[in-house]
Amino acid sequence: MIRPEFAEENPGKKIIMLGNEAIARGILEAGVVIGAGYPGTPSSEILLTLAEMQKFYPHLKLEWSVNEKVGFEVAYGGSMSNVRSVAVMKHVGVNVASDAFMTACYAGARGGMVLISADDPNCYSSQNEQDNRYFGLHALVPVFEPSTPQEAKDMIKYAFDFSEEYQSLVLFRTTTRLNHGRADVILGEVKVIDRDYGFDWDRSRWVCLPSHSRVLRLRLLERLEEISNYADEFPFNSLKLSGKKINGIKYGFVAAGVPYSQLLDALNYYGIADKVSILKLGLVFPPPKELIKKLFAYSDEIVVVEELEPFLENIMKQIAFEEGYSKELTIHGKDIFPQNGEFSGEIYLENIARLIGLSYKKVSVPENILIIPPRLPILCPGCGHRSTFYAINQVEKMMKTKFVNSSDIGCYTLAVYKPLEGIDTEVCMGGSIGLANGIAKVQSLDNPVLAILGDSTFFHSGIPALINAVFNKNNMLVVILDNRSTSMTGFQDNPGTGITITNEPGTHIVLEDLVKGCGVSPEKIWVEDAYKLNETIEKLEEAVKTEGVRVFISRHLCSLVESNQFRAQQIITPSILVDQEKCNGCLICVNKFGCQALNFNEVYKNVTIESSECRGCKVCIDVCPQHAIYEEIE
Amino acid sequence: MEVKSYNLLNVGVGGQGVIRAAQILSYAALLDDYKVRTAETHGMAQRGGSVASYLRFGTEVEGPLIPRGKTNTILAFEASEAVRIFNYAGPETVFLINESIIVPPMIHQMGMDYPKLTEIRTFLKEVSVHLYFIEGVEIATSVGNVRTMNVVMLGALIGLDVIPLKKETLEKAILSYLPSKLHDINKKAFEIGIEKGIELRGGSID
Ligand SMILES: Cc1ncc(C[n+]2csc(CCOP(=O)(O)OP(=O)(O)O)c2C)c(N)n1
Ligand code: SF4
Ligand code: SF4
Repeated sequence: MIRPEFAEENPGKKIIMLGNEAIARGILEAGVVIGAGYPGTPSSEILLTLAEMQKFYPHLKLEWSVNEKVGFEVAYGGSMSNVRSVAVMKHVGVNVASDAFMTACYAGARGGMVLISADDPNCYSSQNEQDNRYFGLHALVPVFEPSTPQEAKDMIKYAFDFSEEYQSLVLFRTTTRLNHGRADVILGEVKVIDRDYGFDWDRSRWVCLPSHSRVLRLRLLERLEEISNYADEFPFNSLKLSGKKINGIKYGFVAAGVPYSQLLDALNYYGIADKVSILKLGLVFPPPKELIKKLFAYSDEIVVVEELEPFLENIMKQIAFEEGYSKELTIHGKDIFPQNGEFSGEIYLENIARLIGLSYKKVSVPENILIIPPRLPILCPGCGHRSTFYAINQVEKMMKTKFVNSSDIGCYTLAVYKPLEGIDTEVCMGGSIGLANGIAKVQSLDNPVLAILGDSTFFHSGIPALINAVFNKNNMLVVILDNRSTSMTGFQDNPGTGITITNEPGTHIVLEDLVKGCGVSPEKIWVEDAYKLNETIEKLEEAVKTEGVRVFISRHLCSLVESNQFRAQQIITPSILVDQEKCNGCLICVNKFGCQALNFNEVYKNVTIESSECRGCKVCIDVCPQHAIYEEIE
Repeated sequence: MEVKSYNLLNVGVGGQGVIRAAQILSYAALLDDYKVRTAETHGMAQRGGSVASYLRFGTEVEGPLIPRGKTNTILAFEASEAVRIFNYAGPETVFLINESIIVPPMIHQMGMDYPKLTEIRTFLKEVSVHLYFIEGVEIATSVGNVRTMNVVMLGALIGLDVIPLKKETLEKAILSYLPSKLHDINKKAFEIGIEKGIELRGGSID
């Protein structure tokens, strides 16, 4: 087994690490035992890196949980049992975990407990760009935010000591550019903690019923007070005072996270880094009051540089008010910097120049800009989702109606684009079935209601919504796109594959049995191979026309996973060709089905198959009404 | 080499190895003792979408993002992607572009046209005079493996003398990500890329 550099015992060695690898390294160095969570960009590599490390550090106990709430609870159960534990998820995952999180914060940590929230300003791979710093404020626990991969490693290591010292949970917030950026990082020592593990039967603490919770809440408030008092000494906060003036004004900047690093670049660019005061926060909540007061004392204008909501800005304004500064001190924030999206490099340069009265020249742009049409992400060639959506569209056409295709989050969300245009809703994971419950209550029977979601999403949060549909008789057809993979986020295993994060056999959950167990009657469950288009269309039509709550499982391994397996096993896939004599140029395969291996040649006005792209799924053979596509048999 | 900050923007299409190039270049920069920062496209956009990686190194780099107009070098594995991010370039920016164009599926069906190489050249000439095109795919194919295109392009960066990294370190970084059976072919691709870069540097821009 080759030992990756990030798993080496080599304190002092400098290596390049992805932000998420650095976070995993910090978790390893802290002596954490339990790591759990659910995949989600930009967080997924943290647990995956730990899983790589686990081969060399068998004390690590890791899992992909079925969803974030369970993942959080797994980790918190570890904390209750006196081991250091971490829960890892993307920002919207914290919404799912929040029920457990909000009350766990009352009872606090026994073994050090950190919740990592990977936020995604600009929605690079997310349905929203919520600012999870508010979860710390909401739950009354500290929020740490690192600005570089090195700091991320060191800070998360410290977070576990901190958590145990204050018996508090720590919310560790990152953003995409930290998670998915590389930098030089110096390795530290890996700690293995030797202490008694196990549950402690402390009912007054772990049983959060009202009489206990009232007491626990007082302790929570005390802890926050203690942490507030310590905030000025927090090792990842720093204050650099200048007192110099630019155009007659003393400026004081406040920033945290990636914006802090970008701010330094911008100040260096203008050569004014030494002429301004800078408060850098590693602890974004609670605020270090003394440092802030010192900054105020040295400044005429405060400039808070933060992406998304005015979180720090509001804290600054509150402190300024409490300290009687409100009149003399101007506090800038969202009046200068946008409240949406990520700050690109020039946003810092432009806005700082505008504020301070420096000159910033925008790059001149040629008069006639060459427009490049967008390159949207698309379903792979051979993707079973494509054939399933094509089949749904065919049935819809045959029935001369319009379906309501309530859908969900996964690769199949890409079916929203042309040519499939096969989904009508996407709000949150599991939402397809939940929404369909409501839609079905009022939709005319002429428009059958479908709920279409992936296997991993069904396990994540589709199950309660399906039970709800059965219980309340909200009639719908649930289509589970069972590609045996959590593909969109990087092909993680799930209960449907039965393989755990460390590649060990777990228990394989059989979807058909599961939906039966949810109360769907056995004659209302259909299963078909997604590559068998004709059979799929036939069964789907039957399923759509049946009454009640029905489930159609469309099954085929994710084509990308399958093609990698084939390559590894040197299995040759069928070679698929177009008979140019038979092809009449109707273009149904290109315009309605849209596998990108099918090429329309504008010069010859015919269709060919790009063999390097084709995965040999053979679905297009069934799509072609002229029977012009065939498998070459040698 | 004493460099305060060097900014490279590498763009391409999902699956072309942009992330791998970021890994290689950042490792090489580390070997040459620089402070390194990158920001990369991971996740969903990789599924055939546009990908970009920002690479910054030097003694004075803090954050990973490059402001518009401040890029030293734009390395494009696909030609139209260089146009998409053209406003990251200023008049001094060097473009090194693989000549191939990958037309996204469904473009023609949606009634849109995709730009041709000549249009791309004409447009980018307005942006910068330091414009270099290279037949990356053809060269890689002639070396014996089309997947060495990235390595050819990295070689050309050295040949053009536009990146403050040592040739030896970059080669070491490239090989460190490859199994030993692929070392020879990639060394060859790297050398040919360097020659091509030198040739481009001497040659004029058409
Ligand atoms: C609460 C929440 N957690 C995680 C994610 C990230 N995420 C997006 S799609 C997806 C799962 C997709 O898996 P599956 O449903 O099996 O569809 P596939 O991509 O395999 O087609 C995940 C985990 C999210 N958007 N929201
Ligand atoms: S990764 Fe798998 S599920 Fe996603 S589009 Fe490709 S084949 Fe389909
Ligand atoms: S067989 Fe047809 S549908 Fe399947 S990947 Fe090849 S071209 Fe695409």
